[in-house]
Amino acid sequence: MKIDQLREKLDNLKYSTNIKNRNELYVYVPKGEAVDVASMLYTAHKLNFAAEFCQQDIEGGGFLISILFISRKHNYYVVIRYRTEDSIISIQDLVYQSHLFEREISDLYGLEIAGGKDTRNLVKHEAWERGVYPLRKDFAYGTKIKDNNETDRYEFKGLAGEGGYQIAVGPVHAGIIEPGHFRFSAIGESIENLEIRLMYKHRGIEKMMENVDANKLSLIFERVSGESTAAYSEGYAHLVESLNGYQTPEDIKALRVLLLELERAYNFLEDVAGICVDIGFSYPAKKFSYLSELVHQLCERVTGSRFLRNSIIPCGNNVEYKNVNSVDIMDTMGAIMDRFNKIAKVTLATVSFLDRVENTGIIRNDKAVKLCMTGVAGRASGIIYDVRNSFSYELYPKMKKPVLTETLGGVFERYKLKLEEIRNAFDYIKGAIEFIDGRTVPKERNDIALKEGLEAIVSVETVKGDLIIYGQTGRDNRFERIYMKTPSFANWRGLTYAVMGEIVPDFPLCNKSLNMSYSENDR
Amino acid sequence: MRFIYDRIKYGKESVKDPLYANENSYGRIEVKDSCSGCGKCSRECPVGAIKIETGKARIDGKSCIYCGKCIDACSQEAISNSHEYRIADLELAGDDLRKKIYKKFNRSLVLRSVDTGSCNACMLELSAMSNNYYSLSRYGIDFSASPRHADGIVVTGPVAINMKEALIKTYEAMAEPKIVIAVGACAHDGGIFKESYGVVNMLSEIFPVDLTIPGCPPSPQALIYGLLKLLDRV
Repeated sequence: MKIDQLREKLDNLKYSTNIKNRNELYVYVPKGEAVDVASMLYTAHKLNFAAEFCQQDIEGGGFLISILFISRKHNYYVVIRYRTEDSIISIQDLVYQSHLFEREISDLYGLEIAGGKDTRNLVKHEAWERGVYPLRKDFAYGTKIKDNNETDRYEFKGLAGEGGYQIAVGPVHAGIIEPGHFRFSAIGESIENLEIRLMYKHRGIEKMMENVDANKLSLIFERVSGESTAAYSEGYAHLVESLNGYQTPEDIKALRVLLLELERAYNFLEDVAGICVDIGFSYPAKKFSYLSELVHQLCERVTGSRFLRNSIIPCGNNVEYKNVNSVDIMDTMGAIMDRFNKIAKVTLATVSFLDRVENTGIIRNDKAVKLCMTGVAGRASGIIYDVRNSFSYELYPKMKKPVLTETLGGVFERYKLKLEEIRNAFDYIKGAIEFIDGRTVPKERNDIALKEGLEAIVSVETVKGDLIIYGQTGRDNRFERIYMKTPSFANWRGLTYAVMGEIVPDFPLCNKSLNMSYSENDR
Repeated sequence: MRFIYDRIKYGKESVKDPLYANENSYGRIEVKDSCSGCGKCSRECPVGAIKIETGKARIDGKSCIYCGKCIDACSQEAISNSHEYRIADLELAGDDLRKKIYKKFNRSLVLRSVDTGSCNACMLELSAMSNNYYSLSRYGIDFSASPRHADGIVVTGPVAINMKEALIKTYEAMAEPKIVIAVGACAHDGGIFKESYGVVNMLSEIFPVDLTIPGCPPSPQALIYGLLKLLDRV
């Protein structure tokens, strides 16, 4: 159903609706009917659940809860919004994954989850002082949470019976990895249950974003997740441009695609290297990460930063891009791809490698759908969704490629998809360079001036999956609220299904094949 | 068999000296004498690393995130990027330590990495040091899987409230001399996140820091330079 038809239908049901920025449908419902409308969209209209977030109501007081659905087929967003004073109406019975979003709102805004099965703390760990709700406006920016150890203990699922035991891992891991806690319940050798506890790195980035001038915000977006720097700055640029209607020149659009795909290339090279490391297949592992290093150095030559920092900015471009760079990129990437294809071919022909990856860490399609997984992790399980195709942005509409999918959803499928993604990235880079066609893309910086009281939703495909950013503008060229649904936030739960029934030593392999970011999850 | 062929064809692929001059890298931000002290850069700086002292801008290289906003803002072109990445600095305690390490470990070093809230770019650069281009292990420096085997911890990111306890426990579990290395602007003073409600402490308030490697993120070259400086090898 198209957005206009859906609006008409909701209008007939006497709900007040509003379409903004062409593809965002806002439906305002009374608190008591939120679940019914959500259920109608989710079950009858087969829209996909994306996120649930909260903001303070500036005019009416109290809080506004928004449940975000997306139509992947017709490319639009639907926001069901209701006002509340003190509680969230839980939709956990309808959408399993919503418990994460509800628990987050409950921790940061102090709202009760009415009728939810899982109401444990998510963001708040034991160290937090009691009774603070940092995202509320009356919690002053710059105030620090006191570590008084006043929050209730987090209860992990127990394990009873003969031969059962638990293994606690983390938060500090054995290696150069970000922090998170894993609680394995194993019987004999196989994992019966895995419970993941994250948010160790919670810094409160969303609060910061409400209090920093829009012209400086790009730098903070880049630092939500370092490995997806370009994608996050693209997300912010996209958000600002959709709010103020800036028409990006075609050459800048092409350059952005080029930078985004360079980022995908080095990340996926690092990922496939990681999969080989966790199998103990050291030669391809070393060579893949060597190739990834070469892409990093290429990025440094083009933009001055190994992580493409401060390159994509809203309403402009911060890289002086010349034809020399195009030649350099084509030469370097050409050589890398040649080498990469040879090494990848050998891994796929090595029996000991295939023995470890095939039929390991399987997330079946129904589970992946239930967990709202996106990105490569979702596509490996047969979820046909890529933001670059659905909510196409920059130059992607002109260079559309079919969405790559696999069906089984195991480590091998994700490995194969990542290999394909690297080849795809190279094709996109080639396409962008052909489009720029030797022209110089000059630096161009424009000051951003935001109008008050606007809102917009944008999506970007990062390396991990779909990043959805909601922004509402406020006074003094600042945002009143920014909410980010980061891809890892939903995808992390996929790991608990992937390891089920596997042996504990296969856990690192499953983890690496999904390779989620802790930083963007914790924010 | 194909790997042996590949190995023969391409050789080692490690760079002979990782500390080569890199003109593409960002590095120390320098202020020329022509600076008029107008304060434009200081207002533009997202982390407050620039102060105007005696009519000239002074940039704190450890707090700086090397975003280049000040360079763009300066109307006199008095601020420039020197591409000098060798900027790691030993803290006061670090200087004494250097002699001790030399005596005790005969220049080798085993470290434990703790991330307390970074954006993970610092983590990626730490692991990039051990790829076969930089090949960190040639210097006898290794990352251990347990604090019990480590001589020091490498901390990346600001100290987030939920990680504080784990950080302290890791430090306590470590053997003497308990070297603390702060990697990146965030580990030094919270970096871009310092105003955030979840960032409760500065690392130096919890333990004495021996070595600070500035950057956002510091490149593998800058990291290697810092570690070698601690080992008294540069």
